Amino acid sequence: MTAGATATWVYAVTGELDQAVLDGVSGIGGAPVREVREGALSAAASSVDAAAFSEDTLQRRLTEPGELEDLARAHHRVIGTVATTAPALPLRLGAVYTGDSRVRAMLAQRQPEFTRTLAWLAGRAECGVKVWARPDALTAPAEGRGAAARPEPGRGGGAAYLSRRRDELAARDQGRQRAAAAAADIHELLSGLAVAARQHQPQDPAADPQAGQSREVMLLNGSYLVDAGRMGDFAAAAQAAVTGRGGVRADVTGPWPPYSFADGPEGS
Amino acid sequence: MTQPWNAASGSMTRTARRPEPASLADILERVLDKGIVVAGDIRVDLLDIELLTIRLRLIIASVDRAREMGIDWWEHDPALSSAARDLAEENRQLRDRVGELESGAPPDDGQRERPAVPATADRPRS
Repeated sequence: MTAGATATWVYAVTGELDQAVLDGVSGIGGAPVREVREGALSAAASSVDAAAFSEDTLQRRLTEPGELEDLARAHHRVIGTVATTAPALPLRLGAVYTGDSRVRAMLAQRQPEFTRTLAWLAGRAECGVKVWARPDALTAPAEGRGAAARPEPGRGGGAAYLSRRRDELAARDQGRQRAAAAAADIHELLSGLAVAARQHQPQDPAADPQAGQSREVMLLNGSYLVDAGRMGDFAAAAQAAVTGRGGVRADVTGPWPPYSFADGPEGS
Repeated sequence: MTQPWNAASGSMTRTARRPEPASLADILERVLDKGIVVAGDIRVDLLDIELLTIRLRLIIASVDRAREMGIDWWEHDPALSSAARDLAEENRQLRDRVGELESGAPPDDGQRERPAVPATADRPRS
């Protein structure tokens, strides 16, 4: 390394790296991406300015939304490129080494585990399925018992209003229970079609342009490891799973590099 | 719908993981929370990242965790929980108003029945 001026940012670990593919993508700060090889494993890496990526500085940069987005997108861009040509293990954002020799040591140390996981991931990709529900799908009353369909003759306006409110609340509870059950059903169904499944935290609707406008709530945020040749079928199954559920839609994303499955078959 | 495989090429090998207009939330939840953790010489503190992510309002709550704990996770939805707060306040005001109505209501109406308003109104959810 060049006299402490640079550090090494690592994106992904893979068995084989084609430099021609790496030439087509730029890394953090626009830096060229290169291979750091140790035994049968390679890391896709690039050099970053050591001062700009010290622990304190990096931490601070990540609290700046614009900087965080740039780093995350650059990290993801390289991982996505590497994963198009060979099975790849994405690294979590923010692993920086003082030099390439330290990267090689890491590869050597975890070689058995990485090799196992790469074999498991070969020919597979991650598919994301987000299931959204409109607010009215959560509050819809049970059949035959409309919230406003129970006049209370003889009662004062206040009492009737309270009664109606109670019905609305009961209907909302039922709507939520139905929505939670629907999310569990869909996840179970899709898990059965996938090699492995993971659930992410539901996202805030504000992070999604469409859901933000329609005030939808995310019922399910799942990732599914699917054989590459079955991606289309899986996406169709995800859409079919929400068909006929009023006010519920599925947003299918991917194929993704196997971020959610980088911890191997035993991960949760 | 923005599924890449609905794009011109149906082949996974060609559409796979090419740079796609993935949402920032989808990317962040993966690069910050998934992927292998390695012992870098410099590593971002994961706890801070978690707090950061929450601060960015990308996460509301975990369905599984909430179910385990018996919590209604929709309460964490800002829109719904503020509606619930409004409702509690509305119920309180209604109790007061109904109380006034009953005490001052004309004798030919409203006196046939004295609904147990405070008791029932205290049950915002069944």
